[in-house]
Amino acid sequence: MLSPRWRKLLGDLCESRQRTAAMVISLAIGIFGVGTMLDSYSILTREIAGNYQAANPASATLELANVDDALAADVRKFPGIADAEVRATILSRIRVGDDWTRLLLFVINDFNDLRLNTFKRESGAWPPPRGTMLVERSSVKVLKAGIGAAPYIKTPHGIPREVPVSGLVHDTSLAPGVQEQTVCGYITRETLGLLGEKPVLDELRILVADHPFDRTSVDTTARSVANRLQTTGQVVRQIQVPQPGRHPHQGQMTGVLFLFISFSLMALVLSAILVATLVSAMLARQIREIGVMKAVGATTGQIATMYLAMVALLGAVATASAMPLALLAARTFSDAIANLLNFTIMSYHVPLWVLAVQIASGILVPVAMAAFPIMRGARVTVREAINDYGLKSDAFGQHRLDSALARLQGISRAYLLALRNMFRRRGRLILSLVLLAAGGGMFMSALNVRDAWKVYIGRIYADRHYDVQIKLNEPEREDALRSALQKVRGVAKIETWGYSETTLAQPGLVDIVRTYPDGGHGSFAIVGAPPETTMVMFRVLAGRWLQPGDGYAVVLNQMARSLIPDVKINDTVLLSLNGRATKWRVEGFVEEVGFPAAAYVSEKAYAQAAGLEGRAQMIRVTSSAADQAERVEIIRSIEQTLATAGVSVREGLPLAVLRTAMVEHVSVLVNTLIATAVLLGLIGVLGLASTMSMNVIERTRELGVMRAIGATPETVMRIILSEGVFVGALSWVFAVITSVPLSLLVGRIVGMLSFKVPLALAMSPVAMLLWFVVVLVISAAACAYPALRASRLTVREALAYG
Amino acid sequence: MKNPDAKTGSPLIELRGVNKEFLSPGGKVKVLNNINLSIKQGEFVTIVGKSGSGKSTLLSMITGIDRPSSGAVLVDDTRVHLLPEGPLAAWRGRNIGVVFQFFQLLPTLTVAENIMLPMDFAGVYPGHRRRERALALLGQVGIIEHADKLPSSLSGGQQQRAAIARALANDPPLVVADEPTGNLDGHTAAEVIKLFSNLVSSGKTVVIVTHERDVTTFADRTIVLADGSIESELKGARALRNYGAREAARA
Repeated sequence: MLSPRWRKLLGDLCESRQRTAAMVISLAIGIFGVGTMLDSYSILTREIAGNYQAANPASATLELANVDDALAADVRKFPGIADAEVRATILSRIRVGDDWTRLLLFVINDFNDLRLNTFKRESGAWPPPRGTMLVERSSVKVLKAGIGAAPYIKTPHGIPREVPVSGLVHDTSLAPGVQEQTVCGYITRETLGLLGEKPVLDELRILVADHPFDRTSVDTTARSVANRLQTTGQVVRQIQVPQPGRHPHQGQMTGVLFLFISFSLMALVLSAILVATLVSAMLARQIREIGVMKAVGATTGQIATMYLAMVALLGAVATASAMPLALLAARTFSDAIANLLNFTIMSYHVPLWVLAVQIASGILVPVAMAAFPIMRGARVTVREAINDYGLKSDAFGQHRLDSALARLQGISRAYLLALRNMFRRRGRLILSLVLLAAGGGMFMSALNVRDAWKVYIGRIYADRHYDVQIKLNEPEREDALRSALQKVRGVAKIETWGYSETTLAQPGLVDIVRTYPDGGHGSFAIVGAPPETTMVMFRVLAGRWLQPGDGYAVVLNQMARSLIPDVKINDTVLLSLNGRATKWRVEGFVEEVGFPAAAYVSEKAYAQAAGLEGRAQMIRVTSSAADQAERVEIIRSIEQTLATAGVSVREGLPLAVLRTAMVEHVSVLVNTLIATAVLLGLIGVLGLASTMSMNVIERTRELGVMRAIGATPETVMRIILSEGVFVGALSWVFAVITSVPLSLLVGRIVGMLSFKVPLALAMSPVAMLLWFVVVLVISAAACAYPALRASRLTVREALAYG
Repeated sequence: MKNPDAKTGSPLIELRGVNKEFLSPGGKVKVLNNINLSIKQGEFVTIVGKSGSGKSTLLSMITGIDRPSSGAVLVDDTRVHLLPEGPLAAWRGRNIGVVFQFFQLLPTLTVAENIMLPMDFAGVYPGHRRRERALALLGQVGIIEHADKLPSSLSGGQQQRAAIARALANDPPLVVADEPTGNLDGHTAAEVIKLFSNLVSSGKTVVIVTHERDVTTFADRTIVLADGSIESELKGARALRNYGAREAARA
């Protein structure tokens, strides 16, 4: 049987059911947010790592001239090597509709003996019959076709040939094709031969036995294998060591999840502040009861414990209600992210520590927030409590702001009343403003970041004044290329550039690049640019862009700069060019949108260093197209012309495709930010509804007076609704202000995670207008019930109140 | 100067067989018992009685603040007890000025704005004339210099004067007051009663619930309530004497 003091508390909670419900619901929303994000974090980080590890990714890939099974078997016996496999990766092209798209062809030695970077059959054939290929499941969207389709494939040395898709596989070690706008295919060595390439494998993939997740250890072991192979006459061109044990998108995903956990914690703290305010109001109404309890022997500690226990109970009820829902939401969210990043959730299990953190935060955060008002209320002396006349007078008029408001004229008395009433309980007003402004700030930030991303993507077009970039498989004569392309109708301008993969060279050591097997993530290129080029106009961050007459000068983009710690203007950097270390003086840093790390040098210096005078590996073409359709046609003609001239194209990248790939990267982030804003908005609505309810209760007699002097129920309702709408409108101002640093923060995190560039602030007028409408509607909705209740009070009840 | 002609007309207020019961944890409590009362236009009527005798409830019946359990309440031929809440509020705003014991000025409006508020609700006076009228009423009750102050800066007496001015905002024929001097010192109370007396002189009908004997000296008629029924009706100075003597005897 409960002791009287606890029965009193339960009675208090039951007596004011609406307030109790508001406290539980607001806490539940906060805990739901935190729970969803913590659960998702625990599921996603485990599953992305698990999926990636399950593929047994190679620690390093050594590029050689020719590798066979015997060599792999030998290497497996090397000290420090856990496993080895031979493979080839051919960057090819695949026809999608009327256009050529990037195709990564993985040539597998034995589909039934996959050891490293394994993938699983999803459907169709296994292994792929001769002349067919398997396709990674996430590439289907890019290919716009599945099993049974027979797209044309063009390898560097082959002619276009139809290769049917005989099955689908799931490769968890790759970034999803749709994000990279790349198709990933898997073929046998025999099929490679049919495609016009020599049926040789040139990659030796190894798994390091000791400390496989330590980059230094992997580097050392891979170099030692390379050295050993070189002593046997093998030529090791390059070693690829991607970030050990980490999916290409793992860092970005973890960073974004941390961001969301922070925001959801903010929602929980705000909901706890709301609870603390409601408890504070409750204590103010019960001050005499507290006095009586003290008069009959209760200590301050006992009183405080009672109310703290009550808050803990509310937190426990809210936590119990929110946690199962959070688990469900986390499943849905995790599925969406897994789908986006192309991995499969094997288990939705949430570790106990995550649940424990939710329970602890669901109970302790509100208790911590309510502790101060409870202690203040519990410390009241018997004399103070007995002398208290219940509710304190609003004492409007004692503050400068009151006087200023009293001078305000020119609007109807009813609205004037609503406006001034708004400022009577300033603590509550601030709470409502903070809650609504947090929701609004988050909402606007989501749309601002989306706009900032659009502006950022827009710089692809602003900084680049060409329509298509074509990389060639082999260096070709510049004059021949120009002469061929100048004949293409619609080609306005042609520039020939040098291009080569590079890495920071370490003299005497085999080059190590940080590229993943997809060849994109972590890549670094040295680019020979015409200094007077008008096709790119990058923002110079420091130093200068290339100038005619520049010798061994280099300008690094921000991605390349991040690879070289503490690099400064005038520093010398060693870059590997075709396996040789070349020395360059840093002249500037530029900001480049949407491209991996690049070191820009003058085309002449590049040609000289690479021994490729008069030849180019990259072409950039500007067309005279008036619209996208015409542009596409011109690009097709260029491709056709190059094919006719016998030029083997490695990759053709129209700017529009680059833009599409970048747009895909940020949609989930924006949607999740909006979902967080909805949670905060709900807490804001509850906060406003609660504070307005308290205000209405406290002003009941005033409402009665108004009715007595002629105010109709509709007038009373309008005054209360107006007050809520005024609070909403004022909160909008604070929301706009809040959205500035929040947008900058989120933009910085998103930009740095993506391309090492903070996104510039973009204030979306649509977001501002939209939130203004939303906040007015939700404020009116929040006040609807208190207003209705106020309008339904009979004059007698209202006048008798208190 | 009173208007004797006004008092000879048909009744302004008429209560016919009014009963009022409240539900309490102990059962039904009868607060008013078969009240039949008629008050003519221009009369100054006070209602007296012990605590719990039903004085304030009777006043609430007249203003429509509360409704009878049975019986009828007519004010200027309007069947008040049958009016729905919205029309009742609008009707009350135009026809009755209400004065409360604790003044009940709205704290966020200035004194003048408090007086203009009923005009806003009723829409009786055009917008541009409302302040002018509010100031005139404040002049009438002697606190025009406080027009633009907030109520919190006024004394109790000044607030009650402002409340009386507010009651007169829409120039209603009837002014009712519930213990209007109960919260004031003797001197201030006398000044307030004088104000009510002046209202009657100008043709208003005034009904006041009071405990104060001094108030009844100004009344044309005093209605004595006991246990929810009209015990007696006394007129003029006689009313004061008889009521005072009886109360003294009971004491």
